[in-house]
Amino acid sequence: MTSPLWLGRYRSAFAVVVSAIFAAPLYLALVNVFKPADAIRAHPLALPLHDFTTSNVASAAQLSLVQHGLKTSLIITVGSLLLMVPLSAMAAYYVSRWDSKVARLLMLFFLFGLMLPPQVVLIPTTVILRHLHLMFTYWGVILNFAAYYLPFGVFVFSGFLRSVSRELDEAGAIDGASSLKVFWRIIFPLMRPATASVIVVTALWTWNDFLSPLIILGAAHGVTITTGIYLAIGTYSIDYGQEFGVMFLASLPVLALFLFLQRYFVSGLTGGATKG
Amino acid sequence: MPGRLVRPGNDLCLRTIVIGAASETAAVRRGFWAQRRAARARRTSPNLRRWTAPGFAGPATVLYLALVFLPLVLALSYSLTNKNLLSPHSSYVGLWNYHELLSDTVFKQAVKVTAIMTALIVVLPNALGLGIALMLRAETRLFAVLRTIFFVPVVLAGVVVSFIWQAMLTDYGVINSVLGSVGLGALQQGWLDTPNHAVGSIVAVATWQYVGFCAVVYLAALKAIPDELLEAAQVDGCVGFARFRRIIWPLVAPAVTINTVLLLITGFKLFDYVKIITNGGPGGATNNMALNIYSVGFTQNAFGLASAQAVVLFAIVAGLSTVAVLLLRRREVEV
Repeated sequence: MTSPLWLGRYRSAFAVVVSAIFAAPLYLALVNVFKPADAIRAHPLALPLHDFTTSNVASAAQLSLVQHGLKTSLIITVGSLLLMVPLSAMAAYYVSRWDSKVARLLMLFFLFGLMLPPQVVLIPTTVILRHLHLMFTYWGVILNFAAYYLPFGVFVFSGFLRSVSRELDEAGAIDGASSLKVFWRIIFPLMRPATASVIVVTALWTWNDFLSPLIILGAAHGVTITTGIYLAIGTYSIDYGQEFGVMFLASLPVLALFLFLQRYFVSGLTGGATKG
Repeated sequence: MPGRLVRPGNDLCLRTIVIGAASETAAVRRGFWAQRRAARARRTSPNLRRWTAPGFAGPATVLYLALVFLPLVLALSYSLTNKNLLSPHSSYVGLWNYHELLSDTVFKQAVKVTAIMTALIVVLPNALGLGIALMLRAETRLFAVLRTIFFVPVVLAGVVVSFIWQAMLTDYGVINSVLGSVGLGALQQGWLDTPNHAVGSIVAVATWQYVGFCAVVYLAALKAIPDELLEAAQVDGCVGFARFRRIIWPLVAPAVTINTVLLLITGFKLFDYVKIITNGGPGGATNNMALNIYSVGFTQNAFGLASAQAVVLFAIVAGLSTVAVLLLRRREVEV
């Protein structure tokens, strides 16, 4: 493939310059993690050469908001996934393998949830959770996330199921295994790439979400890492160095996950988006 | 949609069109068999029986009904009441809340702010994402690294992105200090101080975070364009902008649809940046509908009024994304 002449020869140089400008905020966020607060104010863009320090990260890790937040975010993310992944996989199996009007309507019904802004349903959700005595609890947030991200799971799994041969269903059924057994022993293991994508993308969304934990968990009752950062920086006015340390600690898990599982991010976000 | 690729008055790409048309007929034939196969495949799996099938969908459906669909119905019903968290009793007030909204200047400004920011957020990351995808589509190691860099903001939390940019945008922030130190002090300004600057800054932050996502979707679409089509175009001298306009642009149409719809929804539910960076300011300039629902609902506890706003938001998002899908699907072509 050829490119426009003006770009052809200098293409790499041009791309590097554009990327460097784009990456400037990332560079800023990274170098200032390892500089003392006064150096951040004086020379925000300088590399931490002679004043390299890990004290920002260490003191950020000491903050109870951060410790508590990381723990809570982990519990909520894992809990939401444990609930949402099997439920959406099973529902996807039904809507893509059962031929009826109900199944088709159910698929549309789930798909419609993909475009629902969370703010639309948040107020009534708090009322329902209050009735169930789940407001300000981990379970409340977990159920809210699991329900809200179900459509995404159903969407990705049902897209993937179209490429899974039906003969496997038949083979299992002939052997006389129960429906559930056939699904969990044969079909679900085959959907591993889709499962990986759903897990990675949903984990990212639940870990990064700010609004739901802010309301449902309630700042007075508990914090996730995102509401923890918000409170630490906004309310308790920690110093600049600590601020970058806190953000570093909050981003480390998703960045690590991203760098190792990059292909699942991309296939989950785009494959989930392009199929159907 | 066969024939859509063919545009009259464009002899530059004639041969390409012939090839394109040939592969289209193949596609139609393939499509026919694919449909037949799909129709057959639609038939029930022997693993599901009348009494076991609902068991698969049941748990998910119950959870979804309880915490997504029921809240949506309740939002509609609350919007017809004067429900307030602080008072134990609420009564039916008909369309009063909606009538209130018509004269509510804060709400009307929020609608305007949301419309402006969403329009910009639909266009900017979309256009820049396509540019980046075209720029970085070659399979070299350098470009693979650069593609990764563009995707990093996508995985960061909105809260983190907000605080990084806040450190850059404030009066004594990084942008102004860099401008000062390179002798461009004249360009220093309060990036969050005036309404236009604040809206522009929020849009810039959103663009920065989502452009990598758009680029990835476009890269996947570009990768799917058959090489013979581009080679045939090249043989015909169909290069540069003509090639983009006549071949690449029609073929990335599905990616345009996806990005546009996703950015549309993203724009309407934008919350983290406007809450953290500007808190709706200055003077309500960045107070969008999402943030306004939050303030009216959870600070003023006026659940009835906030629900009416939520219903309006939902109607706009549902209506616009349906229209966007229908309009954009029309110009999608098959290869």
